[in-house]
Amino acid sequence: MTALRIILILAALAVLAAVPWFGSDVLIQFGINALLLAVLAQGWNIIGGYTGYASFGNSVFYGLGSYGVAIAMVQWHLPFAVGLAFGVVLAVAFAVLLGIPVLRLRGHYFAIATLALAQVMTAIVSNVELAGQNIGLVLPPLNNDRLFYELSLGLLVLVTLTVFWLTRSRFGFGLIAIRENEEGAEVMGVNTTLYKTLAFALSGVFSALAGGIHAYWVTFIDPESAFDISLNVKMIIMAVFGGPGTVLGPVVGALSLSAISEFLSSEVTSVAGLFFGIVVVAAVVLMPRGLADVFRRFRKTGWRYFAENIRAHRL
Amino acid sequence: MDLLGQVLINGALLGGLYAMMALGLALVWGVLNIVNLAHGAFIMLGAYVSLYLFTYAHIDPFLGLPITAVVMFAVGYGVQRGILNLIVRAPMFNTLLITFGLEVVLTYLAQLTFSADFRTINPSYAGDSIVLGPVVLPLARLLAFGVAIALTVGMWLFLLRTRLGRAIRATAQNLVAARLYGVEPRHLYAVTFGIGIALAGAAGGLYGTVSQINPYIGAALTAKSFAISIIGGLDNPLGVIVGGLFLGILESLAALYVGPTYADVASFGVLVLVLIVRPTGLLGKAA
Repeated sequence: MTALRIILILAALAVLAAVPWFGSDVLIQFGINALLLAVLAQGWNIIGGYTGYASFGNSVFYGLGSYGVAIAMVQWHLPFAVGLAFGVVLAVAFAVLLGIPVLRLRGHYFAIATLALAQVMTAIVSNVELAGQNIGLVLPPLNNDRLFYELSLGLLVLVTLTVFWLTRSRFGFGLIAIRENEEGAEVMGVNTTLYKTLAFALSGVFSALAGGIHAYWVTFIDPESAFDISLNVKMIIMAVFGGPGTVLGPVVGALSLSAISEFLSSEVTSVAGLFFGIVVVAAVVLMPRGLADVFRRFRKTGWRYFAENIRAHRL
Repeated sequence: MDLLGQVLINGALLGGLYAMMALGLALVWGVLNIVNLAHGAFIMLGAYVSLYLFTYAHIDPFLGLPITAVVMFAVGYGVQRGILNLIVRAPMFNTLLITFGLEVVLTYLAQLTFSADFRTINPSYAGDSIVLGPVVLPLARLLAFGVAIALTVGMWLFLLRTRLGRAIRATAQNLVAARLYGVEPRHLYAVTFGIGIALAGAAGGLYGTVSQINPYIGAALTAKSFAISIIGGLDNPLGVIVGGLFLGILESLAALYVGPTYADVASFGVLVLVLIVRPTGLLGKAA
C-alpha cells in the first residue's frame, strides 16, 4: 500500500516535472502560478493546519520575499539567489519580531491581528524609498519559463517534504500538541513560544521563497500586488479545501482549485472571482475537514457524510 | 491651532460613524460568538442600497435610512438562517472562514452589479456647513454623527430594556438556559444577526454621504470595526462610542502629522498593540 502510494506520487511528480517539455506556453504559465499557490497553501498548512494558528497574514511573507529579490537585484545588483536569501532573512526577522508578541494571542484575536498586519504593509512599503515607494520596482527580465516552472516545482517538493517531516518528528508532534491543547503541551514540556515562532518562521520562509520566484518571473512588483490580501484568501481556502493538517491535502486543494478557477475564468470571466467565495462557504458547511477527510471516509458513509457534517455543527 | 481643532472635530465626527459600524460587529460577536469578517461588505452593501434609493427613488439618504436598515435586516436574517446557523457550533476557525467567503462573494457581486467606480451619495445640502467660531462643521458629517450616536445609544437601551433585547443578552450568556425559558435560538440568532447587519447597512448609508464608496471598501471597514470593538471592549455597547471616537481622532491626527497614507497604519497599529497589551479592551474587564 505505502509502496504503491510512493510510486504513484513519484509518477505524478515525473509528469508534473515533464510539463514544460511538452506543454504549451499557456500551460506552463498556469503551472507556475498554480505551483506557487500550492507552495503558499502548504506553507500556511504549517502554521494554520498543524499548529492551529489561523494566520491571515502569510501574504506579508510573500511580499517580503518579493521585495527581497527585487531590492537585491534592482538596487544592489546582486544575483537572484542572494535576493531569495535576503527575502528569507526579511521573512524570518518579521516572523520572530512580530511573531513573538502576536503568537501570544489565540483564536479570533490572532487571526485579526495578522490580518491587520497584512493591511498595513502596503501603506508602509509605499513609503520606503529603497522599495521604490508606491511606483514599485522593475526587475531585469529573464525569459525562461521552464526554469521558473522547475524552481516552483522544486520548492513545492521541498515544502511538502518539510510537512511530511513534521508528521514524524518531535518538532511536528509538538506543533500538533499545541493545536490540540496548548496548556497541555506546555505542561508536557513543549516550549510553546519557541515552537510557535519556529512554525511561523518556517511557514514564512516558504512563502517568501514563493514570492521571490514570482517577483523575478513577472519582473515587476508594487506594494499593492506584492502584499495582496486576497492571496491570503486563496492560500487558506486551498489548504482548507484540500485538508488542513494533512501532507498532501493543501497541494491537491491548490492544484484542483487553480485548475477549476482557470477554466472558469476562460469560460465566464466574471464568475472566477466569485468561485473562491462560494467554494469556501460550501466547503465549510459540507466538508469542514477538507478533501482528505472526504476521501478517507466517503467509502464508508457515502453521501450521508455531508449530512452528518451539517448535523454536527448546526444550531 | 485652528487646523488642529478642525482635525479633532473631523476625527470625532468620523468616530461617531465608526462607533455605529462597530456596534453591529460587536453585537454579533458578543451574542453569536461569530467574528463576522463580512461585516464591512454588509456596510458596503448598505451604502449602495442608500445610493440607489437616493439616485432612483430620490429619497433623502437620512430619511431613507430606515428603508436601508429594513432591507439589510432581511438580508442578515436570511444569511444567518440559511447559512450561518449551519455552522454555529463548528470550530472558531470555520466561522471565520465562512464569513471570509461571504465577504468575497458579496464584494464580487457588488462589483458585477454596481461596477467598480467610486460613488458618493450627494444630497443638495452636501456642501453646506455650520461655522462655529474657528471651526467648520460640515452639515452632512454632523447629521451622520448625530444619527450614529442616537442609534448606538438607542441600541443600548433596546438591549437593556426590551423583552427581545433581554432575550438576546440571555442567549449570549447561556444558550441552554435561554432555551429552557422559551427562546427559539434559530430565530433569535437570525434576528440578532439581522439587527447587526441592519446597523451595518445604516452605517453604510451614512458613510456614503461623507465618503466615497466602491465595492472594495469592506475589508478595511471590517478591520476598523474590529479594532473599535477591541478598544472599547465587548462588555458594554457604549464602549464602541469611546473606541470609535478614539480611532477617528487618531486617524485624523496621523493623517495630519505623519501623512494621509498613515491613517490606516495608525489604526491597525493601535489594534495590534491593544490586542497584545490588553486583549479584553481598554474598557473591558481584566481577563
